[in-house]
Amino acid sequence: MQQTFRFIAIVFLFSFLVKSSSAQTYNQLWIPDTLSGTTFNLTVKDTLKQILSGQQTVTGGINADFWGPTLIMKKGDLVHINLKNKFNDTITIHWHGMHLPAVMDGGPHQTIPPGVLWQPYWTVNNPASTLWYHPHLHEKTTMEIAKGIGGFIIIRDSLESTLALPRTYGVDDVPLVLTSRRFDGSNQIVYTNSVYGDYMLTNGTPSAQVSLPKQYVRLRILNAEIERGYNLGFSDNRTFYIIANDGGLLNAPVAVTRVKLLVGERIEIMVDLSNDAIGSAVDLKAYNSGQAFGFPGGEPATSGQFGSLLNNIDFPVLHINVAAATANPITAVPATLAHNVYWTAADATVQRRIDVTEGNPGGKPFSLDSTPFVLNYINKTIPFNNIEEWTVKNNNVFGHAFHIHDIQFKIVARNGSAAGVGAYESGWKDVMYVPKSETVSFVAKFNDYSDTIHPYMYHCHFTSHEDGGMMGQFVVKDFSNSSGIENVSKHELDYNLFPNPATARVYVQFNELNNEVYYITVINSIGRTVMMLPQPEIPKGIDVSSLAKGIYFVQLMDKNTKSITTKKFVKE
Amino acid sequence: MKLFQSICIALVLLSVVAFKPSKPTTLVGNVVHDFALKNVDSKMVSLHDFADAKGFIVVFTCNHCPFAKLYSKRFNDLNSKYIAKGVPFLAINSMDTLVYEEESFELMKNKAQHDNFNFPYLYDCMQTVGKDFKAEHTPHAFVIWKENNQWVIKYSGAIDDNGEHPEKANPYIANAVDDLLHGKPVKMPETQSFGCAIFYRK
Repeated sequence: MQQTFRFIAIVFLFSFLVKSSSAQTYNQLWIPDTLSGTTFNLTVKDTLKQILSGQQTVTGGINADFWGPTLIMKKGDLVHINLKNKFNDTITIHWHGMHLPAVMDGGPHQTIPPGVLWQPYWTVNNPASTLWYHPHLHEKTTMEIAKGIGGFIIIRDSLESTLALPRTYGVDDVPLVLTSRRFDGSNQIVYTNSVYGDYMLTNGTPSAQVSLPKQYVRLRILNAEIERGYNLGFSDNRTFYIIANDGGLLNAPVAVTRVKLLVGERIEIMVDLSNDAIGSAVDLKAYNSGQAFGFPGGEPATSGQFGSLLNNIDFPVLHINVAAATANPITAVPATLAHNVYWTAADATVQRRIDVTEGNPGGKPFSLDSTPFVLNYINKTIPFNNIEEWTVKNNNVFGHAFHIHDIQFKIVARNGSAAGVGAYESGWKDVMYVPKSETVSFVAKFNDYSDTIHPYMYHCHFTSHEDGGMMGQFVVKDFSNSSGIENVSKHELDYNLFPNPATARVYVQFNELNNEVYYITVINSIGRTVMMLPQPEIPKGIDVSSLAKGIYFVQLMDKNTKSITTKKFVKE
Repeated sequence: MKLFQSICIALVLLSVVAFKPSKPTTLVGNVVHDFALKNVDSKMVSLHDFADAKGFIVVFTCNHCPFAKLYSKRFNDLNSKYIAKGVPFLAINSMDTLVYEEESFELMKNKAQHDNFNFPYLYDCMQTVGKDFKAEHTPHAFVIWKENNQWVIKYSGAIDDNGEHPEKANPYIANAVDDLLHGKPVKMPETQSFGCAIFYRK
């Protein structure tokens, strides 16, 4: 018996050695395609990808076989999304970091069944920044993100465009989405009872390498993990410069040699390769060994739900080969990047505290304020235009990454001290690391959008934690234009659809004035939803050109009364 | 050294615990029942129609799953090879036709024609047969064998171990049928099925 064990142990160790030595062969970093303009056509689908040798891995992708296109948007543009769900399951897609109406936000309420075309749209108000989009279906977020569904959004604006920054996508300006994955014996992604991967995937590429020019380059780095944090640095400990946080440029670059990036967070960095010889190499690495307990991925176990082969070790994220400089290289980091004016604690008129609760091993899952997420319960109502200070207290067993929808915030204190806030996290943020035994405060203004029906979310961005119910919801309510009397008389909205039958567009004509439409759903004759149109632009009509011939029903929800009136049309 | 060995053993034990399959119940050995399902030629098909069959290869598949789409030619090859040996091939679509517009009977007919299916492609619109087999994904392959006038599952899982490169694949299902035809127990009776999940209506 003991002999057998020894033999197994030797085989086990040997497999380790093989794994570490094989890391010397690299795969070319996949860089997502870009989509730009004001209309973005996205198809979420099941697909497959050759990640390991042997069997292909069943993945999810958006217009791609893992992950999705980088959407390049311009501040001030009215953007329209045509998102078709060809995935085998219901999805939602959330525009992470985007300041937009709650009904467009893609949270757990905006479920998109298979086959449905969802058409949110909004005016881009965020400044130049690196945002992302990802699934947010309650209890299935981990599965859908683990399979690879997601993508970057790059916002450009006139201020950022005037700076001498690397801006040539895929050449000196490269997006990096960091994930690790565990695979089972059939090379399929493991997402149940497993929060850390054994293989590092950078942009979906295992053992990734890229050639970058001998000059200052910009890396837009996103942690899209289930739970793992990254303590990033370069293999020669060189200094690099943080130029942007989640919500956009810092006022000035911050020089560091290491920076922690938790789930959901983005940083943009600039690193100088001009002193590197052409043909030389440097690695971007995760220096994750020796972290204090509570840093996700620091646990020493090499397997099991909270263990992995990448836990508590330093490992490469990207092998960078230095190539010839481009024609007009960026040669310096601008001393001034932006002129953000941040809220301070003194600006806040309301203070709220949120406690991290439960989550003890073997006990209930983590929650906020001992209130696990319930889909139809609004935890907080925030008066429109409030400036508020929220304090998240983590007197609990593990670290978390607190995320809030709708707004970008300013971290104002760690453990009650403004001096405790790092320069590296001094910009606009939408995710903040709340380590074990720490209390972190931010200030934000809840402006521009109010809606008492569709909520925004706040939650831990560890997808396993949010799926477990570590999430709450808030609505932003405009009290100023309310009489205080909520009893609006319910009445049928009187409207006609024309032309009927229709071939390209169906228009809505109201028989009374001052109607506002909150939502239109188009349903086919067997009851399958085919289109979901949040706050549709009524004068433009409904584009039905993609629908098959047949009978359809329009369900139109009135904004004030929330009553739904159904009308029929024929598509020819 | 002793300590080192203990650590190794501990690691092995940990990994055994960690990779214990979440669903320990096996489908192999289950008895499944005869059925009557509409084929793409609109004729009804039942197991008892094949009076001389020793067994069947039954694959749950569908129109829209990209992983299932890789296997059309292999399905034809399996049927050609084994129908002559008394083991016909049947494909069954148990996907929820209310949810997926691509899974309509009309589109099943189109697929069977386009991919030159030489075997029945059956429409399980009430999902009863999928539930009886406990089919989990498309594709999910079974070999059933006649024992004491009952149909017993002898193999459950993947068709082979390489979707995109059949020439490199270990043909699990062919191996299982060969074992049974030689009167031997199936060497590898269960592998993992994966692809698109089949969701059953309540």
